[in-house]
Amino acid sequence: MSQASSWKKKLRNNATGYLFLLPTILVLGTFLFLPVFYSLYLSGHKVNLLGDVSYKWVGFNNFSRMAGDERAWIALKNTASFAIFVVPLQTACAIFLAVILNAKLKFKNFFRIVFFMPTVTSSAVLSLIFMWIYNSNGLLNRLLEFIGLHGYNWLGDPAVAMKAIMLMNIWSTAPFFMVVFLAALQDIPDALYESAMLDGAGAWRRFISITLPLLKPATFFTVVMGFIGTFQLFDQSYIFSAGSGGPNNSTLTVALLIYQYAFKNLDFGYASALAVMLAAVILLVTLIQRKLFAEEKLN
Amino acid sequence: MKKRSGFAIVALILSAVLVLSACGKSGGNANSPESTSGSNGSKEPVTVTLAGWGASPEEQELLNQTIQEFETKHPNVKVKYEVIADQYMDVIKTRLIGGEGPDVFYLDAFEAPGLIERNVLEPLDSYVTPEFDVADFDQPMLDAFKQGGVTYGFPKDSSTLAMFYNKKDFADAGITTPPATWEELQAAAVKLTKKEGDKTVRYGFGVAPELARQMFMIQAFGGKVADEEGNAAFASPEALKGLQLVTDMHNVDKSSGEPKEVGAGWGGEMFGQGKASIVFEGNWAIPFLESNYKDLDYGTAELPTINGKKGTMAFTVAYVMNKESKKKEAAWELISYLTGKEGMKTWTSKGFALPTRKSVATELGYDKDEKRGAIVAGASYATPWQAGSTLPTIMSNFNNQFVDTFMGNSKLEDAINKAQTTANKEIAAAK
Repeated sequence: MSQASSWKKKLRNNATGYLFLLPTILVLGTFLFLPVFYSLYLSGHKVNLLGDVSYKWVGFNNFSRMAGDERAWIALKNTASFAIFVVPLQTACAIFLAVILNAKLKFKNFFRIVFFMPTVTSSAVLSLIFMWIYNSNGLLNRLLEFIGLHGYNWLGDPAVAMKAIMLMNIWSTAPFFMVVFLAALQDIPDALYESAMLDGAGAWRRFISITLPLLKPATFFTVVMGFIGTFQLFDQSYIFSAGSGGPNNSTLTVALLIYQYAFKNLDFGYASALAVMLAAVILLVTLIQRKLFAEEKLN
Repeated sequence: MKKRSGFAIVALILSAVLVLSACGKSGGNANSPESTSGSNGSKEPVTVTLAGWGASPEEQELLNQTIQEFETKHPNVKVKYEVIADQYMDVIKTRLIGGEGPDVFYLDAFEAPGLIERNVLEPLDSYVTPEFDVADFDQPMLDAFKQGGVTYGFPKDSSTLAMFYNKKDFADAGITTPPATWEELQAAAVKLTKKEGDKTVRYGFGVAPELARQMFMIQAFGGKVADEEGNAAFASPEALKGLQLVTDMHNVDKSSGEPKEVGAGWGGEMFGQGKASIVFEGNWAIPFLESNYKDLDYGTAELPTINGKKGTMAFTVAYVMNKESKKKEAAWELISYLTGKEGMKTWTSKGFALPTRKSVATELGYDKDEKRGAIVAGASYATPWQAGSTLPTIMSNFNNQFVDTFMGNSKLEDAINKAQTTANKEIAAAK
C-alpha cells in the first residue's frame, strides 16, 4: 500500500518535473534533436527536395564519395590548418591580455571594455570592416608600405587569403577567452605569489610555475572551445569569398563546403554526410585533447 | 525503469511535435483553395508575389512605376514585390523547396536549365495569346529559356559586353581610335598602363578572371565550355589559346589587372576610379558611371575582334512562373504585362536595361544611342551566358583555377586541366 502510494508520488513528481521541462524539451526537440536525426537520416540517402521529392537509400555511398572529392580534402586541410594556427595563438593572446588586465593598472575597466569589444560585435560586420582594411589600397597595406614592406592583394591572392581570415579571427576571438582567463586568474590566491616572492622567484618564474599550472582547467576549456569554433568556421570565409571559398579554394572550409553542396547544388544527402563527418572529426579532436590534458593532471 | 519512462515521455513529446507540425502543414494547404477560388469568383483582388534581386534606387523606382501601371490597368491583381538582397538563387531554391516560393520571379539564363530540369517552372506556352507576339522577342534571348520546344520564361531585358574606354587616357597616350583587334588592344593596354615606382596605379585593361566574362574567349578559337552530356570541356587546345591571351596580358605584358588588385569591387568601379583605361562591361555600367562618376569622359565600342572574328557575351534575365503557384492566371497577367510591349517600354525607357523585344528596341532607338549602340550591336553575334544544367559546377571549378593561373601561381594548361577534371568528377558524383 505504502509502496504503491510512494510510486504514485514519484510519478506525480516526475510528471511535474517533465511539465516544467516541456518548453525546453519542445524547443530543443524541434530545433536540435530533430535536425540532428534528420541529417543522420539524410546522410544515408540521395535526396532531391526541389521539384519531384525523392529519397533513395544509398547506404554509405555518400561517405565513400568523400574519398574521391578533392574539394572535401582541401576543405578539411584548410580547416585543420586554420585551427592549428589560430587556437594556440588565440589562447596565448588571451592569456597575455588577461595577465595584463589582472595587473594593478590604471583605467583597468576601460581597457577591459575596449578589449572585449570585438567579441560583442557581430562577426559579419567585423568581416565587412576587415575587408576594407585588407583592401589593396586599405589600411593594412598602407601600414606595411609605411614601414617599408610591400602590400598584398589580401582578398584576391590564394597564397594569403586564408592568412587574412586567420589574423582577423584571432583578433576577434581572443578577447572572449581573455575573460575566461581573467576569471580564472582572480581565483589564484595571492598567498601563493607572496610566498614565491619570499622564496626569491621573479615575475617570469611566478608566471610559469604558478599562473600557468593553475590556469590549466581554463586553458583546457579554451583550447577545446577554440578547436570546436575554428572547425566550424563559416561566416568569415563566406563573406570574404562571397560564398565561393575562393580564390582557388584557399578559403574553403568544411562548413562552407557543406553550405555549397546543400544550397547551391541542392545535394542534401551528401551535405549531411559531410556534416556528420565534421561532427566526428570534432568529437575525435576533443577526445584526444581530453586524453592529453587528463594525463598531465595525473603527473 | 525510471530511465525508460523518461525516454518514453521524450519520444511521446517528439511524436507530438511531429504530428503537430504535420497538422500545421496540411492546415495551411487546406486553406489555400479558398484563397484561389477568390480569384475566379468574387471581385476580391488577388495578390501575386514577385521576387527579384536588388538594384540601384533609381532602377527600383522604375520597376515600382511599371508595377503601378500594371495594377491600375489590372485592378483585380495586386503585386507584392519582394527584394532578395543577397545570394538570390540560394534563397529562391530554398523557398521553392519549402513551398514558399514567389509566384513570379527573376531567373538568370545561366541558372535556367537547372531549374527547368527540376520541373519547378510552369510551362508558359499555353497562356500565350497572339497579341503577346512571341516572334517579337530576340530569338537567342528567348531560346535561353526554352527546353524541348517548351518556353519557361520570357526575357525581361538583356545586355551584351562592350568595350568602355577612357577618352582622356586615350588622348594622353596618343591613341586616336578604340582598338579593333586583340593585338591592338594589347598594344594600347601596354601604353595605357601607368606605374608609380614599382606599383601599378592604372592598368591599361581591367579584366574579370571568371567564366561568365571569358566564355567567348574560350570559343574564339573553336573551344567550348561543356559537351553534349554536360561535362566540362574547356581544356581543349583551342580553348586554351583564347584564355592564354587573357593571362598573358596580366603575367607577361603586365598591362591588365583584376579589380581587386587595385582595391575596386568590379570593373565598372575600377574604370570609374580611373584605375583601368579599358574594361569590358555591359549596359549596367552606364547608369552606374552616370550617377557615381559624372565627370568621366568615356566612350564605348564593340569588343575587339579575336582571330578575325567578332565575339562578346550576352546576359539575360527572364520572368518565370512557379509551378506550385496557386494564382497562375494572375501571375501570367503580370508576366505578360512586364514582358509585353507596353510594360517593357516603361521598364527600359530610362536605359537601365535594354529591351529584348525588337519593336521596343526600335521605338526607343537604343541602337543609335551614343553609349548603348555598341552594346546593342553585339547582340547579333554574342555568346549567351548559358551551358546546360551543370554550368554552376563547371563555373565554380573554372573560376577557382583560373584566378590562380591569372595571378601567375600556376601554368594555364595545368590549372585548366585540373579544373576540368575536378568539375567532371563532381558532375559524375552528383548523378
